[in-house]
This record gives sequence, structure tokens and C-alpha cells, in this order.
Amino acid sequence: MHCLAHVPILFLVMKALRTDTRNTANPADECTRVYRQGWRRPFVFSRSGPRFSQFNAPTESETKMKRRTFMMSAAGAAAGLALAPRMSFAAKGTIDWYTSSDTNILDFWTNTVKPAFEAAHAGLKLNLVDAGDGAGIIAIGERAIAAKQTKADPQADYFESADALLPAGAIKAGVYTNIKAAGLSNYSKVNPLAIESEYSLPYRGSQVLLAYDTTKLKPADAPKTWDALVTWIKANPGQFVYNRPDKGGSGGNFVRRAIHQANGLDPKAFKVDNYTQEFGDEALGKAWKLLADIAPHLYDKGAYSSGNTQSLQLLSQGVVTMIPVWSDQVLQAIEQGVLPAETGLVQLQDLALCGGFTRSVVIENGANREASLKLADFMLSEEMQSAILTELGGFPGVSWDHVSEDLRKKFADIIPKSIPTFPGGKWEAAINDGWYRHVAPNVDRKA
Amino acid sequence: MSEFVERSVSAPAETAASRRPIGLLLVALPVFLVIWLVIWPAINAISRTIWRTDTDGNSSFDLSSYAFFFSDRYSLDNLAVTLWTTLICAVLLLVICLPIALYLRFAHGRLPAYVQALAILPMFVPSIILAFAFIRVLGPNGMVDILLNAVGLPKIRTPYLTPWGPVIGLVWDNIPLTVLILLSGLGSVANQSIEAARDVGANAFRVFWHIILPRISNSILVALSFSVLGIFSSFTLPYLLGPASPEMLGPFMQRTLRDLQDPIGAMTQAVVAFGFCILFGLFYVRSVARSRGK
Repeated sequence: MHCLAHVPILFLVMKALRTDTRNTANPADECTRVYRQGWRRPFVFSRSGPRFSQFNAPTESETKMKRRTFMMSAAGAAAGLALAPRMSFAAKGTIDWYTSSDTNILDFWTNTVKPAFEAAHAGLKLNLVDAGDGAGIIAIGERAIAAKQTKADPQADYFESADALLPAGAIKAGVYTNIKAAGLSNYSKVNPLAIESEYSLPYRGSQVLLAYDTTKLKPADAPKTWDALVTWIKANPGQFVYNRPDKGGSGGNFVRRAIHQANGLDPKAFKVDNYTQEFGDEALGKAWKLLADIAPHLYDKGAYSSGNTQSLQLLSQGVVTMIPVWSDQVLQAIEQGVLPAETGLVQLQDLALCGGFTRSVVIENGANREASLKLADFMLSEEMQSAILTELGGFPGVSWDHVSEDLRKKFADIIPKSIPTFPGGKWEAAINDGWYRHVAPNVDRKA
Repeated sequence: MSEFVERSVSAPAETAASRRPIGLLLVALPVFLVIWLVIWPAINAISRTIWRTDTDGNSSFDLSSYAFFFSDRYSLDNLAVTLWTTLICAVLLLVICLPIALYLRFAHGRLPAYVQALAILPMFVPSIILAFAFIRVLGPNGMVDILLNAVGLPKIRTPYLTPWGPVIGLVWDNIPLTVLILLSGLGSVANQSIEAARDVGANAFRVFWHIILPRISNSILVALSFSVLGIFSSFTLPYLLGPASPEMLGPFMQRTLRDLQDPIGAMTQAVVAFGFCILFGLFYVRSVARSRGK
């Protein structure tokens, strides 16, 4: 009975772990991976949903139907084909599209992109498929490599969210299309800061910002530099909270901003391969001092929420005045009424908080390569890029000059001049471990 | 005559022998699963943490990860808070659940049915839902604060993000199991023996202490060891409700493995946790063996 009672809980824990995995556990570059792994949703448990069905056994009627199908197949060769291994080929004109992002991205494509694209391109259709997570996309990428070797149909044309370097060797095998050389009419509009590889197309982004309650802090007084922020935090004890750096990118990138601050505001100082024990201890040690210095002035004298959503919750309950947030998450939260319309947003102007982009790839050996390139070009059009801002709350993948005038004015406060990034690899583990050891326990928090 | 005796003696033995394979078959699957999914990984983790392969590919006996765990202030703090949480939860569970179980056993009428339904309810509430509900109710500016504010009282010191957060959540989550086990134990207390004690003038406390408690001490042990095992290795509630540091071993292990990418460290923590759980498990096994022995 004990075990049975915990089965649903176990599933939810598994879901929770999966959520964490998506948000945190990839050794790749911190800033990009959060996007690649999927869009954050306002509540952890809202992530459940249809994927649970994979645990479910077939229903009785399904079983019956299978039995009936089997009987039919035994009766006739025509019906027998239905049970034979599927040898279907990708339909010409139907783009097989896969995503590892969350359901809100799939919704966006289903309700906004698909109708617009199909209306603009007669004869082309989109087949939107949820690949689950990053590992799902990589598996389909591996399938495409295998298909290339056997000259078979990969049954995949377009990955909404992928890393051009994964699976390893995909570019070398000639499976991913060189987007730069493909001659997209809109490619020149792409934000040069966002381009990581010629083989992937950054089409939407997100960045960490500061969100605050304008009823308690006037927009004119909102801090615009790190020093002003620290002064504000100390002058308003208990009014700022950020989440644990490994449990969500908003707090994680706030911590990384402190590391940039402590090391001469130079994001280039940190590279994926330049971590050494000495350099790490020295560079991070200075940042831990900065963070430990503000710790007693944070919410509850140094409590740290356990995720992006939990920080938003504290802001929405009026417990704190300011938090670091993901741009897309906060814009969506305001849109949905989770946060009030009076929520203000501000970006630090001396050096912005980290951000990153979601990148799409086109499968070179896919049956619909040309159509997929049309889709890629379409995603860079002003119509779609504006929709990403207004419908999705994401950042455009094109430079802000190519966004309509009124939208540019509306988002003036959060348009980044630069999009700093922070490498992953060994830095990531060092930051995660160091923060817990040096920043979190510094405050005596006996209940 | 002798043949008859032999037959009559051997017949039941034969039945028992013919039943045995079925019994063994019935337990084979769970035993196999336990060996495959629990015992083998445990042995694997233990061996991989003590037989370490160094950078040159030589494997040797090496206890350094354990030495690190038991000399590292941070790890020890996490272990201490885990033991503290487990102990406090066990005491609170007993204090809360025993009266409920006694009430359900001896009360009559319709009300106990509702009380029982209410006591069992947490079993059907997933812990993530519970955690977010907890934040909305007991969290800062939550429902309790709003109610207190409405009658002009000061806000509570919220347990959210303190060690008491997981304690409250875990106790609530474990009430159904504890109540059910205690209730089944109380079923073995005969009404006649209580009435007999009352007849000779025993008061309620003496009835409880001398009649009821000795009969259910086994159930108490079983209930506590069950819930203690679950609490010691809990993840969701300490992760969502507890402080960043010190953290319980569940979130600590997950973080060490995923975020610090240190599988040996995580396995060492797991083996340490396993060691403590074996201790708790021994109580359970002992009490079951004792009750079987009777």
C-alpha cells in the first residue's frame, strides 16, 4: 500500500526531475542551453499533461481494436499491410518539424506560425511534432545521420530548437544545412550577436532582466547599474530575492552578473576551456564576497527561492519588490495576469544580465529542404518576429532595427545593447558548488 | 496400520511441499526486481565508491570520497539537518497520529468516517501540489497572513524556505500511512480486555499505557520506520519548501549529480543515506520477525 500510494508522487517527482534536467543539467554553455532545453512555464506542475500518456497501458478498447486489426490482417493481405513495419516516406510538401521546447512554443507554432505559413505558401504544409526534450531532438538527428549513410529518407526537415554541434558530427556528415550559404533573403537581418554557427538560425531569444513592483518603486528610481542595484538592495532590506543559481536561469544569470562585476565587467574573460582551480577560486571568490555582502539584505535575511517560478510567486504576492526574471517568462506572466500590469522591467546598462537564443536547423538530406528554407526565411519576416514579441514574449532573433517602430518603443527599456553570455563546462560546476558553500550558508538561518 | 500412520503423517507434508514452488514463484518476481533495481545498484554504488579508478586507469581501494564527506562541514551540516528533520517528523507524526488513530478506533457514529476520510486525504495529494498549496497558505503574504491581517494581528514568521517548511509538509504527507498502520494495529486490541480493565477501576491513561500500548508497540515501530525511511530520502518537499543551505540529502544528492556533475560524490552521499536507512530498516525487520515469531 505504501508503494502504491507513492506511485503518482513518484511520477510527479520524475516530472520535477525532468523539469530540472531541462532547465539546468546540460554541460553546454549556460546561457544558450536554457533556451535549447525548453521554455520555462509559470508553474512546474503545469508541465505534466499529455506526456503522461506514455506510461499508460493501452485501454481495453484499444486492445480490442488491435485484436480486430490482427484478425483482419490474418484474413487478407491488404489489411496485413497495416500491421507491417511502417515504411512510410515523408510526404512531399509536408515539412516534418520537431521541437524540444515546451508546450507554449508548440501552441505558438500551431496557432500562429502554421496558419500564416500555409496561407503564404500554397501547397506547403507543416507537420508539427513534439520531440520531447533535447535528447529527443538529438536522437532524431542521429537518425538523420544514419539515413544519410543509407541514402534513406530521414523523415525530418526542420528542428525548431537544436544545437548545431549535437549530435556530434552532424555537420561533418552533411546532415545540417549551412543556413548562411543557403541564400535566405532575411538572413542579413539576424542579430549578429546571436549567431553561433553558420548551421543554425537564431530566431527567438530571451534575456534575464530585473522585474519590479512600480507601486513600491518608481520607474525613474529603478537601478540601472550594478552599484545602484546594490545600494537599492541595502536601502530596502528584504525586498530582493534571486533563486539558487542551479535551479533556474534567472538567479543563475544574476550570480553570473556578479561574477562579471567582480572581474572587470569583461564577459570575454571566461571561456569554456579556461577554467583552472586557481583562476576559478580567485575569480569566483571575489564574486562570492559581493554576493555574501548583499545576502543579509535579501528576502528573509538571505533566503533563496528554489526556481524561476518561485521568485515570480514572491513578487506576485507582494513579498518582495524586485527579482531577476527571464524576459519571456515575465512578459507572459504579465500577459496572463500572474503578475499585475504595474510590473516594471529594467535592464542594467553598465553590463546586461546574460541571455541567449533558440536556434533552428534545417536537415540537408530531408525530403523538403527547399520548403524548410522557405520556412526559415519566413520565421525571420517582420510579421513572425513581431509575433514572437507580442504572442510569445520572446526576444526577436533579428536585430531590433528590423522590428516595427511601435514595438521598439514599447520594449525600449529591455532592448539589450549587448547579450553577454557565460560559458558552461567546468565553470558551471564550480559556480554551483561555490555558491552553495560560500554564499548560501553565510547567514545564520536557524528557524 | 503402520502404512496408514505413515500416510496420514506424510499427506500434509506433501501438500506443503507441493505448495512451495508456487509460493516461491509468486515471490520470485518482486525479489528479482528488488535485486535488479535496488540491491545490485546499491552494491554497484558501494563498490564504485571504494574501488576507485584513478587517471592512469589503475583501480585501487580508496575511501577518500567518504573521508571527504565526513570531514566536509557542508556535507555534515546537510546530514545533520536530514537527521534533525527525520527525528522531528517522527515525533510529530506520533504525537499527531496516535490520538487520531485512537479516536477512529473507539469512536462511534458518522463523524469518525469523515475524520478518517480527512486523515487519508493527503495520500491523494501529490507532493508538488501540496508544496505550492503550502506556499500559498503558509508562505509570506499567504492566506494565513491575509486572515491575520484582516483581524489586525501581525503576520506569522513564515516557515517557507526554513528547515520547518519541509517538516510541516512531510508530516502532513505522512499522516495517512501512519494513521492506517496504527489503526490496523489497534484492531488487535480486544474490546473485552479494555472493558475488563475498566471493570477493575483503571482510568483512561492506565488503559492506554497498560492495555493498548503494549499491543500496538509493534505497529508504532512499523509505522515510524516506514515514514522515517520515506522522510529521510524525500526530495520534492525539501527541495521546494526548504532552505538553500543546509539542504536535505535528497536535494543534495540530486544537485551533486546533476549540477556539480560529480557522480562519485553523489554515490557516496547515497551510500551514507543507504547506511542510515538500513538502520531504520532493521527496526522494521526486527519487529516483523518478532510478531511472526509470536
